[in-house]
Amino acid sequence: MLTLNVNGARHQVDAPDDTPLLYVLRNHLQLSGPQFGCGLAQCGACAVLVDGKEVRSCVFPAASVANQEIVTLEGLPARWARQKGLSAEAAKNTLHPVQQAWIEEQTPQCGFCQNGMMIKATELLESNPNPTLAQIKNAFTNSGPSPNLCRCGTYLAIIEAVQHAATIMAKGR
Amino acid sequence: MATLSEKPFGPTLSRRQFVKAGGALVVGFSVVGPGILKGAPKPAAMKNSLDPTLPNSWIELHPDNTILIRTGKSDFGQSSTFTSYRQIVAEELSVPFEAITTVIQGHTDQTPDGSGAFDFLGGGMPNIRKAAAYTYQALLDLASERLGVEKHKLSVKDGIVSGGGKSISYGDLVNNQQLKLTIPVKGELTGIMGLTIEGDPPMKPVSQYTVIGKSFKNSVTASKVAAKETWATDVRLPGMLHARVVHPKTLGSTLVSAGQVDKTKFPNSQVIVKGNLVGVVALTEWEAIQAAEQVAGATKWTDWKGLPASAKLYQYLREEADWKSTPVANGSLNKGDVGTALTGAHKKLSATYQVSYMKHGPIGPTMAVADVKADGTVHIYTHNQNPQELRGEIALMLGVAPDHVVVHAYPGPGHYGRSNGGNAGAEDEAVLLSQALGKPVRVQWMRADDMQWSTQGSGGFSDVQIGLDEKGKIAAYQVDHYMPAMQDDRPIGAVLAGLPTMAAPNPQGDFISSTVNGIQDPWVYASIPNVTERGHGTFQLGQKASPIAVGLRDHSMRTPGQYQQHFPRELAISEAAALAGADALQFRLDHAREERAIGVLKAVREASGWETRPAPRRDAAFTGSTPVRGRGVALMLRNRSYWACACHIAVTPDSGKIVVEKYTIAVDPGIVINPMQLKRQVEGGAVMGISHALFEEVIFDESGITQDDWNSYPIPSMSDIPEIKVVLINNPQVGTYGGGSEAANALAAPAIAAALYDATGKILRKVPLKPAYVKALLNA
Repeated sequence: MLTLNVNGARHQVDAPDDTPLLYVLRNHLQLSGPQFGCGLAQCGACAVLVDGKEVRSCVFPAASVANQEIVTLEGLPARWARQKGLSAEAAKNTLHPVQQAWIEEQTPQCGFCQNGMMIKATELLESNPNPTLAQIKNAFTNSGPSPNLCRCGTYLAIIEAVQHAATIMAKGR
Repeated sequence: MATLSEKPFGPTLSRRQFVKAGGALVVGFSVVGPGILKGAPKPAAMKNSLDPTLPNSWIELHPDNTILIRTGKSDFGQSSTFTSYRQIVAEELSVPFEAITTVIQGHTDQTPDGSGAFDFLGGGMPNIRKAAAYTYQALLDLASERLGVEKHKLSVKDGIVSGGGKSISYGDLVNNQQLKLTIPVKGELTGIMGLTIEGDPPMKPVSQYTVIGKSFKNSVTASKVAAKETWATDVRLPGMLHARVVHPKTLGSTLVSAGQVDKTKFPNSQVIVKGNLVGVVALTEWEAIQAAEQVAGATKWTDWKGLPASAKLYQYLREEADWKSTPVANGSLNKGDVGTALTGAHKKLSATYQVSYMKHGPIGPTMAVADVKADGTVHIYTHNQNPQELRGEIALMLGVAPDHVVVHAYPGPGHYGRSNGGNAGAEDEAVLLSQALGKPVRVQWMRADDMQWSTQGSGGFSDVQIGLDEKGKIAAYQVDHYMPAMQDDRPIGAVLAGLPTMAAPNPQGDFISSTVNGIQDPWVYASIPNVTERGHGTFQLGQKASPIAVGLRDHSMRTPGQYQQHFPRELAISEAAALAGADALQFRLDHAREERAIGVLKAVREASGWETRPAPRRDAAFTGSTPVRGRGVALMLRNRSYWACACHIAVTPDSGKIVVEKYTIAVDPGIVINPMQLKRQVEGGAVMGISHALFEEVIFDESGITQDDWNSYPIPSMSDIPEIKVVLINNPQVGTYGGGSEAANALAAPAIAAALYDATGKILRKVPLKPAYVKALLNA
């Protein structure tokens, strides 16, 4: 039995300790944000936040993060609401600024990689609220185990959405 | 059944009766057939629950004035079904965009037409546009009768029909009625092109458009971004088992013996063998992955070395491939006497150009859930560019009628053409495993399976000859394109299991399975007097030598065939310009006649800050560690859209590394339906084009593909993208819509290769322009 803290709730999961976190999130907890892209930590489609840091859930054994705070794409709105001290009612109807920006900028094409892109953007903006273009490119290319890859080529739309999210977050302050 | 009216354009509208029933009634539900009526017993699978000759199968108007549309084409990320299709229907019906509340797509039991996720705007006349136009006329007829006002005196705004001082909403027109409007359709539901609506219903004049041309958002983006979408990857059925497939050791291996599961480690796993198809099925996904790895290690295959290795690809294609069995294709615009013109040319270019094989490389490997039920019906849950064709392929494989097969379509990773012929890899494998076990089975390919066992975009080479007259204009253009067959729609699981499939590509094959290499790159230089374009086709590499008839399977990939023909043509035109001492962009303007081609060239000239001068630049250099800069241009016509692109690059001679610094692209699709979505599509294509040009080459040895992940088959990261400028040219007088997604990916390669020449004075007539190849060229 594994105990995991995911999106603010504790879950008991009947899975072997070495099960990669991704399969626990998708198959046991029915979370659909993180996707299977490569299983090799080479693309970022499976990314989640573990204690605020982007982690590739496809290679991370679930047991290794048992005592840490795991946040998936599903948990981003609540994370933002908590950071902003929003009421439970307001939080229900709020998306994370990164998600809002992704919609307003119409960033995804197929959207399969965008889970990881939004997780990476959240990690970046929490540490650097107003990143430069070079810092954005660096974060999405060099800060993780591999670059966050998009096969549809939405990188420009991602950059514009990160900048837009930074603006929304600044207003929210 | 009283006929209300007969239209010169073909359809008939009739009313059976006025009816009342519980809840709201919608137009024509009763004529769809009892099967989908609420509460009626539903057959497990039907040929099609919707009758494509009834427009309400395509468009449903509800009494509350909401509208539902259905299309067999599934969105793969470009948003056309959610944005353009809505805009087109809203326009033809004169309703607000927001009135179309539901889009149903792809599911074979819920959509009328079939066909694939490509050319969504279908010659400017997608089915949904005609369906809407027919429906609009029928609604006017109804309103005319109801209001007692002649049809030609009626007008519609926001779904309200008005005339003679009276008005009525569409919702009120259809309330409590059963209506039947029959429209003409033709085609084959499970064929690659599906069904097409016939006839010529009157269309709304372009000058009256109010919905088309606006940047509506893609409705599915919000649910994807908020993690509320059900992706194909999320489908879980009760009792479902997880599977991985142990693919053969080589592309020609046959099974000697399948490994056994180590039951001490994997107690809930089992091996299923069908011919050369080896599947490992388990209760949990993690156990299936581990057990499959263990079984793979214990499975024995024959060896096979029947491919020319990629390092010898060109030599093989030039010297050994069989180009004689397949008829030569001639360009439809061939004209004049090229031979004489070349002989008498003032200056001549004669060169060979090479294109590598490329992977489609979806960011998620193929997967599918299949449920073969005890009564023989088959349900497949997947993301697929052509669900109806997949349905036909599965029926053929199992020897059942298509009625027995339902494909349920969900969003998934972009396929870029890979599944437009109905399968991507996992679907038929899941069906065979489910059939063997009598339970739902989910097959997920791993990254290595997807790199090594999926299809690829074909490589090839082209011989070009250009003759210049004494004024420096092109007097003659001749090209011979050589490319192995680019479309193999056989499902791989069926092939491995030795079950029936359509034919492998062959000279006598039909539209899909033919080895003929047609001319795919429409000619754009109308003022050249003598033109000969020929296409030479052959079998896929290793196809005939492989004991399992596999070989290096190909499948159309974004801008299929045209990419392979456009790179040689456009780079050769840039070389011809240099030979003439002319600026490459002005040279194109001097040889094009079509106003729209001239328009996109002028647009990129302006937007890119193009400096008019011949290439190479005066200070071109091919040695040293200091980057040298250059620029190149390309022109293209595809799916009724004109495109031009300019690439500004920097190349470091010592390393051979090319960096694209500025990418400028202009597109004239005719009517721009949705500027924001078109811009995003073009940006994506631009990045993929840079990827094709600089990174992508399938590497194979004599047995199979040796790349198995994103490190060995790299694609660009965010730091590889340049400044990108997109110029959209809205050209309403064209009167129709052109494609906007693919093509953007094809223009970069010849433009970047021309820019390399501009910067260094040396030509590399082969893509991708990898650092090692560029370095070798510059050091030669």
